[in-house]
Amino acid sequence: MLPELTFNIDHGYLEGLLRGFKSGILKQADYLNLIQCETLDDLKLHLQSTDYGNFLANEPSPLTVSVIDDKLREKLVVEVEHMRIHALQPLAGFLDYIKYSYMIDNVILLITGTLHGRPIHELLPKCHPLGTFDQLAAINLANTSIMLYNAVLVDTPLAPYIKDCISAEDLDEMNVEIIRNTLYKSYLEDFYNFCKKLGGATADVMCEALAFDADRRSFIITINSFGTELSKEDRIKLYPRCGNLYPSGLKLLGECDDYDQVRAVAEYYPQYKELFDNSGSNPGDKTLEDKFFEYEVHLMKKAFMQQFQFGVFYAYVRLKEQEIRNIIWIAECVAQRHRAKIDSYIPIF
Amino acid sequence: MGSLFRSEEMRLCQVFLQKEAAYACVSELGELGQVQFKDLNENVNAFQRTFVTEIRRCEEMERKLRYTEKEILKEGMRIPDNLENPKAPAPKEMNDLEVEFEKVDTELRQVNTNNEALKQNHLELMELKEVLELTQTYFAAYGQDIQSMMDEEIQGHEEAIIGRQQTAALGFYVGTISREKVPVFERVLKFITHSTVFVRIEEIPRTFLDPVSGDELHKCMFLVFFQGEQLRTRVKKVCEGMRGTIYPVPDTQKERTEMLIGVKTRIADLETVLAQSNEHRMRVLGKAQKEIRSWTIKVEKIKAIYHTLNMFKVHQNSLIAECWFPVKAADDIRRALNVGEKQSGSTIPSVIQPMVTDEKPPTYYNCNKFVIGFQHIVSSYGIASYGEVNPAPYTVITFPFLFAVMFGDAGHGLIMFLFGLFMVLKEKSLGSKKMGNEIANTFFGGRYIIMMMGLFSIYTGLIYNDVFSRSLNIFGSQWKPVTLEKDLRINEDIQLDPKYDHINGTAYFFGIDPIWQGAKNKILVLNSLKMKMAIILGVIHMLFGVSLSVFNHIHFKNYIDIFVKFIPELLFLGCLFGYLVVLVFYKWIMFDAVSSKCAPSLLIHYINMFMLKYNTNECDPQAIFYKGQQGVQITMLLLAVLSIPVLLIVKPVVLIVTRNRRQAGMRDVYHSSDPLLSNEIMPAE
Repeated sequence: MLPELTFNIDHGYLEGLLRGFKSGILKQADYLNLIQCETLDDLKLHLQSTDYGNFLANEPSPLTVSVIDDKLREKLVVEVEHMRIHALQPLAGFLDYIKYSYMIDNVILLITGTLHGRPIHELLPKCHPLGTFDQLAAINLANTSIMLYNAVLVDTPLAPYIKDCISAEDLDEMNVEIIRNTLYKSYLEDFYNFCKKLGGATADVMCEALAFDADRRSFIITINSFGTELSKEDRIKLYPRCGNLYPSGLKLLGECDDYDQVRAVAEYYPQYKELFDNSGSNPGDKTLEDKFFEYEVHLMKKAFMQQFQFGVFYAYVRLKEQEIRNIIWIAECVAQRHRAKIDSYIPIF
Repeated sequence: MGSLFRSEEMRLCQVFLQKEAAYACVSELGELGQVQFKDLNENVNAFQRTFVTEIRRCEEMERKLRYTEKEILKEGMRIPDNLENPKAPAPKEMNDLEVEFEKVDTELRQVNTNNEALKQNHLELMELKEVLELTQTYFAAYGQDIQSMMDEEIQGHEEAIIGRQQTAALGFYVGTISREKVPVFERVLKFITHSTVFVRIEEIPRTFLDPVSGDELHKCMFLVFFQGEQLRTRVKKVCEGMRGTIYPVPDTQKERTEMLIGVKTRIADLETVLAQSNEHRMRVLGKAQKEIRSWTIKVEKIKAIYHTLNMFKVHQNSLIAECWFPVKAADDIRRALNVGEKQSGSTIPSVIQPMVTDEKPPTYYNCNKFVIGFQHIVSSYGIASYGEVNPAPYTVITFPFLFAVMFGDAGHGLIMFLFGLFMVLKEKSLGSKKMGNEIANTFFGGRYIIMMMGLFSIYTGLIYNDVFSRSLNIFGSQWKPVTLEKDLRINEDIQLDPKYDHINGTAYFFGIDPIWQGAKNKILVLNSLKMKMAIILGVIHMLFGVSLSVFNHIHFKNYIDIFVKFIPELLFLGCLFGYLVVLVFYKWIMFDAVSSKCAPSLLIHYINMFMLKYNTNECDPQAIFYKGQQGVQITMLLLAVLSIPVLLIVKPVVLIVTRNRRQAGMRDVYHSSDPLLSNEIMPAE
């Protein structure tokens, strides 16, 4: 049967709600106002007139950027949790997948933190609230990835992802990076297959978005690996195999030795060629990372063009993350009185 | 006509205020509540306006007040409302307020921090006490020798401990953990130590209070036995991660008993300190409690004044405002401005200058508390534009009346009336209590409406002779049957023919004869009556509404609308529904009990009117029943149908033609005169 006909029975309320949330995303005009701010209090005053409302009303002056960051994040978390609680399957599962990426980030954050000898109760509040789970608290016990698997992750949804990188080696920074990327790779592939199984418009939208995410990771892993002890064989194992680059592009990427070769690989893909061509490291140029973000925003905005699909939920979370990054960027620029680069945020609407 | 019929006459004025007098003047105008300011800085950011620092200070004060209020409410104290409405304090008093709030705020925060630390301490001691008591009973039940206990417990996991040195130091940790964390705690301990520790969880029966939020906390005690140094660190890490607290419980019973006694005395000491600290806190809060309502009102007023001032344009040493106000209130406004000037000691008077504008003025009705409820009902459908007829004064009667026609029960109406009356009489005390309940507020806002609806329901209920769905025989039924007693004795049921079986002297004095209560066809008769009444009242109501539009057409000099809108509407309504009403009356008057067999069925006739079906059988409910019926009905139908194209087509055509003509005219004028000239400021009156 046509899934569009029955979509609204289970998910209509949440989609409506989400589209309401989406219309609260800051517009270009808001950003133009924000970048004129002289102090963080100005910023607060303007944000009060947007959908954020009184979210900073109970914070004593003087404001700090980290308070703003916490509050921005808190608002997103409340919205996502609200939707998760009201969601029915398969949307509930879909939203859980969104949360898994935050769980991975938290695991990695805690491991790196403990590696640097920070006490766990100091690190736990820094975790993203969307990705907390009870077992996180025991993570400081794990000093090998086997321990990590056996003691902490074995009964969490992340368990299947870590299976590929279990070893008895002690955790060091290199290892943590490998674990992070392997986790992410397995997660992306799993999410990709999940969306593909859902089919319909969800698959159309999400596969494009996840494929882009996978490709971005492949590019960035390659670029970051230059000059490290990561071998090419190991590197190729970290590439998520669900993007547009798979399989031939990944093979080429695996053989790259410097930035220009990566760029040459991107030449074969018109959408990425453009990103590489327009980026640069000279002052005034946009970085490749920003270019990727811009392309992501473009993709996510496109997701809202289709109705009766879950892609909008993913897109909303991503856009909101981008918005938080934008506001924080502007806030930092304002706070540090460093206005030269204040307008290198990435406008959404 | 009165101000309720159309909007009050409004005037747009420019007000020049001296900078130092502006605050006091706006404060006075705000108390008056008759002025609507236009935002002259629409394109200016919120944080770039003139008085943004003052607004920020107000927000800061509000934040402190909110915190204080929250603390007061947390203590379960009520915030008294002494019905005062303090005026906005002068700008220089703002500093005093700020200092005062700052004092309360810091004092409160300090007390709270101390209190929290004390409470945390208390919580820990209480937990320790519970833990000690529980371990005492535990060890009493299982024996003192931990070593032998451990051996027994791990016999089942023989393989797991093979190779482990049995002589390794044996130790245990005792502590507390939140109840919801227990399953994870147990599981993680099991994974991390490969089931080589012995965990015992015991729920603590009493609940603790969270020192910060004051919420109830459920805790469990855990006892973990382990062997060796490595396991000790692991268990400790898990406890830390799970936010469990480990308490140093001694090994021997004697030491534990001593410790317990020590803990108990410390708790007693701490409780006296806590009581004192609480008392201090209550004193601080009590001081704020009396003032907080008026403080909040003051700060809100200051903030509102600065928000209004932000809408003004700054011009050298004066502020320029544009505002609408009712012409009637002009003197009040002048007076308020004078008071404001006097207060601020400004020497230069402020100037009010009327402006000429082609903007449509805002609609304003000066409603009293009785009409306001009805005005709200009308406004929920839409607010009449300036100069249009306001239907609210008529709804004062029609709304409760039409409600009562449908409600129609004197008994229930009485209850409703009394409820409304109660709210009206208790208006002051109920109104000052801010009811949090939205539904209760709706009822309170409509108290006069409810009272009126009750009153009208009593009236219609008496007409329907319905009191709690029963009839009342007040004036004595006028219906007297001519049946003989013996007939009644023979038959259980008798059907009385209205033609000759009763004598009807006069009609019942008021409303429906109560004898209908006993009739089997009561519902049928009353339904027919009420349905016909509903049609009659509804058509009258609609006709009245349509007639009101004539006043609009005349007021706006849209005489053409009378012909292309009002008359066709009237024709349509009158020819179709007005005719039906006439038929109802005709049937009521012309047919009585004798001729009722041949009475026409109005519904069928009305349908046939549209179907153009006419038959002439003798004494048939479907046959025509008066001379020339066919001709009259066809004319009516034709008129109604003809008025539809008039309604739909003529007005747009007229608009197109006039617009084209005006555009043609404009082109000529454009060359000769400046169109801006008409928007000049008129000299002051």
